[in-house]
Amino acid sequence: MSPALLGLHDVQKWFGGVHALKGVDFTLAAGEVHVLLGENGAGKSTLMGVLSGAIVPDAGEIRIAGEPVRFASPRDAHAAGVAMIPQELDLVPGLDIAANLFLGNEITGAGVLQGRRMRDAAQELLAKAGVALDAGLLVSSLRIGERQLVAIAKALAADARILVMDEPSAALSSVEADHLMRVVRDLKARGVGVVYISHRLEEVARIADRVTVMRDGQVVGECPPQAPQAELVRLLVGRPLSDLFPPRASRVGKPILHLHRAAFDPARPRAGWQAPRDVSLTVHEGEIVGLAGLMGVGRTELLGALYGFGAVGRWSGTVEMRGAAARLGTIGAARRAGIAYVTDDRRGTGLVLHHTVAQNTLMSIWRRVTPFGLASRGLERRRVAEAMENYDVRPRLPAAKVVNLSGGNQQKVVFAKELMNGPSLLLLDEPTRGVDVGAKTEIYRRLRGLAEQGLGVLVASSELTELLGLCDRIVVMRAGRTVHAFGADAGEDAVRAVCESGDEERAA
Amino acid sequence: MSTSTVPAALERPRRSPLAYLVRFQSLLGLVIVIAAGIGFSPRRHGHILFLQTDNVANIIRSIAETGILALGMTFVIIAAGIDLSVGAVLGLCSVLTAELLVNEGWSLWTTLSLVVATGILFGAVQGFISTKARIQAFIVTLAGLQAARGLSLIASGNSFINISYGAGPGKAPVGFAILGERIGGVFPVATLVFLVLAALATFVLNNTRYGRYVFAVGGNEKAARLSGIPVEAVKISVYAITGLMAAVAGIVHAGQFSFGSPNDGTGYELNAIAAVVIGGTDLFGGAGSMVGTIAGAVMLGALANILELNDVSAALQLLATGAIIVMAAALQTFVNSGSGGR
Repeated sequence: MSPALLGLHDVQKWFGGVHALKGVDFTLAAGEVHVLLGENGAGKSTLMGVLSGAIVPDAGEIRIAGEPVRFASPRDAHAAGVAMIPQELDLVPGLDIAANLFLGNEITGAGVLQGRRMRDAAQELLAKAGVALDAGLLVSSLRIGERQLVAIAKALAADARILVMDEPSAALSSVEADHLMRVVRDLKARGVGVVYISHRLEEVARIADRVTVMRDGQVVGECPPQAPQAELVRLLVGRPLSDLFPPRASRVGKPILHLHRAAFDPARPRAGWQAPRDVSLTVHEGEIVGLAGLMGVGRTELLGALYGFGAVGRWSGTVEMRGAAARLGTIGAARRAGIAYVTDDRRGTGLVLHHTVAQNTLMSIWRRVTPFGLASRGLERRRVAEAMENYDVRPRLPAAKVVNLSGGNQQKVVFAKELMNGPSLLLLDEPTRGVDVGAKTEIYRRLRGLAEQGLGVLVASSELTELLGLCDRIVVMRAGRTVHAFGADAGEDAVRAVCESGDEERAA
Repeated sequence: MSTSTVPAALERPRRSPLAYLVRFQSLLGLVIVIAAGIGFSPRRHGHILFLQTDNVANIIRSIAETGILALGMTFVIIAAGIDLSVGAVLGLCSVLTAELLVNEGWSLWTTLSLVVATGILFGAVQGFISTKARIQAFIVTLAGLQAARGLSLIASGNSFINISYGAGPGKAPVGFAILGERIGGVFPVATLVFLVLAALATFVLNNTRYGRYVFAVGGNEKAARLSGIPVEAVKISVYAITGLMAAVAGIVHAGQFSFGSPNDGTGYELNAIAAVVIGGTDLFGGAGSMVGTIAGAVMLGALANILELNDVSAALQLLATGAIIVMAAALQTFVNSGSGGR
């Protein structure tokens, strides 16, 4: 038997105190699509970093076509025929497709760029990748799915034998994803080996020749692509996934947030910022209320306007917290009223990535742990230990930098930070974005647990199935207005119909 | 996640020894510089000149002013800002001190209060403009540098103001001369001012809520704002602190040298920034150490002294300082890239 195109053996990697790869074996044959599944923090991105030369492993062996290789930098990996297509595509938006395909590898004559020759060669490459785009187009003018295809063409331009794709379909529409599948199958037919990272289980059967599941920095199983989804989920999460959603509220208390015909008037209206125009909804103690609606109907903006984030302005109409009129519109006012907010962008606005877990956890309660303005290390330690225990942040190292934690554990730190203040209302924007199935369940369970302690939760999500499974009530928004409220027993079709109807109203 | 076989708390962190090196790099650098100072010091009658009381007193006197500036600069840089105006504000405040004491005949305490207030106000205005108009601090304080120079030329009538001590018009109160003196004939009063402020700054940065806020704002401004931290007030206040420190340094300058000169303090801001960087503070904000800054300032002073003792030219002294700054920054970047930091 000829040696595998790619073979990893006993690869290990530490990040500070985190053992990210605990001896991983992985192989890839020519013309094979090998899907790598894993939760956030399972180690799949680290493994891909090792493959692409961006991360130097602490131990282990990499072989390409049987030859041991050492990648000290992405350049080495590139030279060995490994091309990586990261989630954040490394294209230069201000250049055209041709210039991007030949970036660092330009065709020149006597030191001068040969634009026409480059465009022609680029057009050929695009054709080879099955992409029907003009090579003279600016990358900034392309949609995300088209950029993905350009990135693949770029990898082919470098004569890659091994293509590593990190969640390529995550941001694609279903049509774009279909096209991507076709291109990948095409590559496969030409003998390219593809490592395809994903956490979309439904993709596996369509594209994979082989599936490897990682958990906790280890390979926990290898399956044929026909393996039932339940089996894959069990491997991913490490336990049978009997029920994704927790049971609903047993009892509901007094109203916390009450909006009636409320509107928010931004001081400086911005295009693309759909201000809440006519909002009526109530969130009670112990209740999880969902905000549904299509993209751009103002879900995020409603949460932002309640928390005083994203725009400055004034509320009109009835805005009440716990039965008393509340003046919301600034972060300070919202926090005094007992409102906490979890952003949809935990890396950008939720956390200080290069600060420690302790620093991040305490960020919203410094006032409470600094008597007379003086820092108290004992108080800090106690509160952090408590929070890490309550929210099960792993590893239990208060001094670990947040950047070294897995996505799921980062999200736990965000929750811990926001809930340290003991708020009465929690606003959540896309709480499970970029989070996989196991971490999602854990977030749902935790939210239900918080609600049972009397917290009111208002959650905006673009995933209708999530809202239907989690929420006690769902409020549908259209063009800044709340148009309908559904109970817990609402059918998916009915809610979807209300979300998608009324387009003519928006056009008017 | 919950099925992990090793209890998470038992997983030992593997901290690279280099991380410790960076944490203490300025102290280590200081030790090296002092050792080198002893090793390379010229000797006279068997005595090591570098360690002579006079020489040590000279070193610690020479660092007082940039040291004071660097204390303020540490707050600003940890808050992810920069203040280029401190050298010019030092010049302005030295002129103002001399002018008010000598030509206006103001009392000592009124003069000092007004000068300090000027420094604080100057810094706070820069912080306010930078924060509210969202102009980069680099630009605002570069403009502030020019403005402070212009103001000091106006205040001094474009001339050098000599301070002579005594009673009556045209003389400064005798008490002010203390800044140029040495306690017991050895320990410079200017250095004492630096040490007191250094202790205060270290305490505020490490042991107060305000210090925690400064780190959070510098680490991620948006996350800090969402967590309810008064981001704008913190950002404005750090410039008020650099203004305050520049004013004190200006007063010390006037007292040490008994004059106010509108062009003094030129380039001091860069020495202050150098001390902060050598001290291990991250120019991107969010991380840093006041003790490091203090060690960095002493180290720069000691280094200049060794080179001077050995008659190394001023040009080579500048080169050596440059090399040390690059080494300090390179060490940090190297370690941070390894630990998954920035």
